Parts: sequence; structure tokens; C-alpha cells
Amino acid sequence: MTVDEPSCVAAAISDEIEPILRVRSEPGVTKPDPILTVHGVRRSFGGLVAVDVDHLEVQRGVVTALIGPNGAGKTTLFNLLTGFDRADSGQWTFNGQAVRSLSADRLARQGMVRTFQLTKSLAKLSVIDNVLLGAQDQTGERLWVAPFKSRWRAREQHNTQRAEELLDEFNLAHMRDELAGTLSGGQRKLLEVARALMTEPYLVMLDEPMAGVNPALAESLMHHIGSLALQGMSVVFIEHDMNVVSGISDWVVVLAGGRVIAEGPPWNVIHNDLVIDAYLGRGSQPSSQDAPTPEHANPQDAGETEHT
Amino acid sequence: MEFDIIFGNAARAALGPEAVILALAAIGLNVHFGYTGLLNFGQVGFMLLGAYGTSVSVATFGWSLWVGITVGLALTVVLALALGIPTLRLQAVLFAIVTIAAAEILRLIVGSTDAVGLTGGPFSVSFDTSAFYDLNPYADGPQDRYGFGTFAFTGQQMWVITVGWMLVALASVGVFVIMRSPWGRVLKSIREDENAARSLGKNVFSYRMQALVIGGLLGGLAGVVDAIKTSGADPNGFRPQVTFFTYTALLLGGAATYLGPVIGAILFWFLREWIESFLRQLAAEAWLPSPFADFLSGAEGIISVGLVGLTLVLLVLFRPQGIVGNRTEMLIDDS
Repeated sequence: MTVDEPSCVAAAISDEIEPILRVRSEPGVTKPDPILTVHGVRRSFGGLVAVDVDHLEVQRGVVTALIGPNGAGKTTLFNLLTGFDRADSGQWTFNGQAVRSLSADRLARQGMVRTFQLTKSLAKLSVIDNVLLGAQDQTGERLWVAPFKSRWRAREQHNTQRAEELLDEFNLAHMRDELAGTLSGGQRKLLEVARALMTEPYLVMLDEPMAGVNPALAESLMHHIGSLALQGMSVVFIEHDMNVVSGISDWVVVLAGGRVIAEGPPWNVIHNDLVIDAYLGRGSQPSSQDAPTPEHANPQDAGETEHT
Repeated sequence: MEFDIIFGNAARAALGPEAVILALAAIGLNVHFGYTGLLNFGQVGFMLLGAYGTSVSVATFGWSLWVGITVGLALTVVLALALGIPTLRLQAVLFAIVTIAAAEILRLIVGSTDAVGLTGGPFSVSFDTSAFYDLNPYADGPQDRYGFGTFAFTGQQMWVITVGWMLVALASVGVFVIMRSPWGRVLKSIREDENAARSLGKNVFSYRMQALVIGGLLGGLAGVVDAIKTSGADPNGFRPQVTFFTYTALLLGGAATYLGPVIGAILFWFLREWIESFLRQLAAEAWLPSPFADFLSGAEGIISVGLVGLTLVLLVLFRPQGIVGNRTEMLIDDS
């Protein structure tokens, strides 16, 4: 290792994430092995430009945090990239393929899965059925195969086993057969992440996965997200809690007013003056210890509703 | 007051051809509304195409009954595609508006005076159903009755309801089999939250379309049974309230349950006929003042439908999951 690695990086530095540490900390910088490349993406709602990203690359196999003050356009950018909203202009590629014209479901089948800020657990389905829905290789989801149980039973058993492992990892095994609607808010967040992982994605996009999760569970969820990169997945997550961000992310992208204003390793970004300005407003002169914390950055954390 | 007659009438209605037709339509509507969350307010349109497709094929074009049935069912698929392709991507409420309008348009077209040569127009159409009754194993002489008291069917009715309830059983088993498959799971996920389904790689439009076609076919089948039962089709038999009665039966039994639509259809006809029969008897009682008796003897049908409606209101208030539904599932907070 030629690069200093500050102690705040909790995740072990694998061969995968080492190259990212050589990348310069500047907005729109190119990266050695991007899984997602965004170029000139713009989305406005009436007169309000919600997203205006010139260039952004997401490195494969690392955990990237997307941060920014309320209304910065984080969720809108997520919606655009995952096919849930249409961009006014711009191009982006996923795994080297131009995907702007792809629908949300096709993107998910290609390996880009997302979760939602307002959790979308399927309340009237059991917990295990929620996770089983994530499986991508179940031919029993085709109408002409569905009536013949013998043709999908083996796959279902295999999937169920994997789903149970995921539930176990996310401390939901005891709720296996309960309706998802009976779960607490935090448990629903965990369920949604487990369900997303069931799709065996290349890229996981998590919209505030920690919001509403109790501290003990959040700790385990954090650990989990950190370990996804070690399993070869790429992760982008939106988060407000700087402890979480510096704890598990290898790279941080800061969005403000729809633009990427800074990016770099966490220890670098959270002391960046531009970032502090964006969070606290121009004119304030905080010392470096006053780097944005959840309290400062985000007084109405739970109340935030970006353009979804 | 002769309660055995009232009960006999009610039981005959509950097991008769009308209940078969309602049950088939409700099973189809259950696929739409119960499992997929599609607000189809035009189920009667599918029934109309099943009935008129069969009747017109035989009466106007002289094709065999079996070809006619195939044509009727094929037309329901066409209607499902025509309704679904432009509207299934829109909001649920817009879909509901389009379905009710489409069903009314179909009724006005087949009943218009310009369509007399094709569909019989306002004079209705009738056709030869002997191909069906030739297969009747029940003796159907003028004296043959099956049952006891007022609970009795003719040989022809016996044949219709035997085939009819077999179709109901087949349809119920078919729906049961596909709904407990992974395909059915995707459908339910779309009912809950289409964006969640989309985020997991499910093509929401395609699944909704499949559900619309299947439920529409079952509605068409109800229309076919109706056409055979009455040896024809009449535009007045396909007014919007047929759809509302179907919803009533479905909610009475329990939406998104396997037996709900069947139990609901049986109960709907039992209640309706019981009340009507009861009021008719009441009107005949000597102690009732004559203005009331006159009113009752004329309006028993309307009052009975009203009371069935009241039952539905009470049910939705106190047992929203229906007779066989799951209360916990019903009360789950959707947020």
C-alpha cells in the first residue's frame, strides 16, 4: 500500500477498492473501472433544476456514498438512473451499455437494483414471499409455466433456501411467515435491502437504508453494506449520517443544487470547505471539527421528501 | 307465511343458472380486482361479448354452437387487449373509467336499431341451442322435476347447472393453481405496489395484461352460459348494475380468496330471492293494509336488491374481509 489509509476506514482494503484510492478528489473525475458512467444528465421540474450532473463515474466493487443537503437532488438522480423518472437530457451507461432508454424493470433484470426512501415492503405478502420476489431466475413467474409446479418447484426450493439465509443475515428469520405489514419501520428497511440482494445485482442503489433503523440493527446493516463490496457488488447509497458515511464508504459524492460539487474519499470530502458551505450555507465559518453532522446537516431528517 | 316455499325459492336461486353466471363473472373479477388490483368496472362488457359472440355466430352466421363459443371467448381477449394496451400504463382510476365506458358503448352498439340485422338490436337475438341440449343426460319431459317442493329444476336447467358448476369448479381450481405459483406472487406484488415490483425486475404492464385477459375470459364464459341458458342475448341484460352485482358478490364472499367469489355468488342469490319471496308472501297476508300490500307486491324485486345492498354496506363496515377473507390481512397498514 502506497496510500495512507486513515483509521476511519472500517472496511478492509481489498484489491478491488485499492485503485479508487489513487483517484484524485475532484468533481467528475474519471475512474479506472466504472460500473456506472453518467454524462450531462439533467432533470427539471418546471423552473427548478433538480439534477444537473455534468459527469460522474461510479467505481466498480466499492461502496460509494451520495450525500448532500435536503433538496440536493439525490433521490431524483436515483430515480433517473434506475428508470423511475425520465431525464430531460443526458446519457448514462451501466456495465458499458447505454441504458437511458431502458425501463425500470429491465434495468433491474440487468443487475441494477434499488431500494426506496419510503420503504416499499409489500405489506400483504409474507416476509419470505417478499424476498422470493427478488429472485430473477424463477421460470414459474411465466404464466404458461406457472400451472406446472414440477417445473418450478426445484428452483423455488433453491430460492427459498437462499432467501432464508438472507433473512437470517438481516435478523428477520423469526418473522419468516408473518405478513410484511406487521414489521416495524426499521425491519421493513432491512427486508427491502434483503429483497434487493436476492436479485443478485451488480449494483445496489440504497436510498437512505439506515433511516428509522434502531442503532443496534443499523450497526449490523452498516457492516452488511460494507461487506457487499467484498462480495464483488458495487454499492451506491444515500445517507445523512456522517458517521455511517465515513464508516463504510470508500468514496463520497457530494450533490448540492443538483450538481456534483465534490467527490473523494470520506476523510477528504467531509472537511472540504465547499461541502461545509453547501450544508451550512455560505458565510458561516465553521472550524474543521464542525464538519456536517446529522444534527447540523439535516434537522428534519425523517420529514425529507425529495421529488419522488 | 309458508317458510318452506320461501326457503325453496331461495335455494333454487342460490344453486341455479343465475348463480353460476354470477360466480364465473366474480371469479374473473377476483383475478382483476382481488389479485391484481385492477379496478375493472366493465366486467359486464366481457360477459356481453361472450353472450353476443356466441348468439350472433349461431343466429346470424349459422355457425355451430362450439364455433360460436370460441368466437365469444376470442372477442373477450380482443376487448382485454383493446382496453389494456392504451390504459394499463395509466392510473388505476383512469382504467376504471375506461372500462365502465367501454362496457356501456358495447351495450349501446349491440342494442342500437342500426344493428338489428347483426345482433337483433333492441329486439334481442335468439339462437338454436340444441347442440348443447342434445348432450343432456337428464330426462327433460314436461313432467320431469329434480328436487322437492319449490326447490326443483327442469331437466334442461339441471343440465345447464351441472355443466355450469363444473365450469365454476374448473375456474376456481385454475385460479387457485396459478395464484399460488410464483406468477401469482408477482401479481399480488403489483397489487401492493407496482413500483416495488418494477424495482425487482417485473414487467408490470405485461402481468396486468395477462390478468386482464384471464379475468376477461372468465367473464366471457359467464356470458356464454347466460346465452345458452336464455337461448339468446338481450342488451338489457348487460346493464352496468351487472358489474356492481358482481362486485357485491365478490366482496360478500371475500376478495382475493379462492372460494370468496363462489360463496358470494351463492349467498347473493340466496339473500335476494329469500327477501323477494318473503315480501311477496307478506303482501299476500290479509292483515297488511292494502296500500302497503299493493306496494310490496309490485316492488319486492327493488326492495330485495336494496336490502342486499344494505347487507353489503353492513358487511364492509363490520366484516370488510368478506365471509372467508383474512381479517389481519385486511387490516394491515399499507404505508
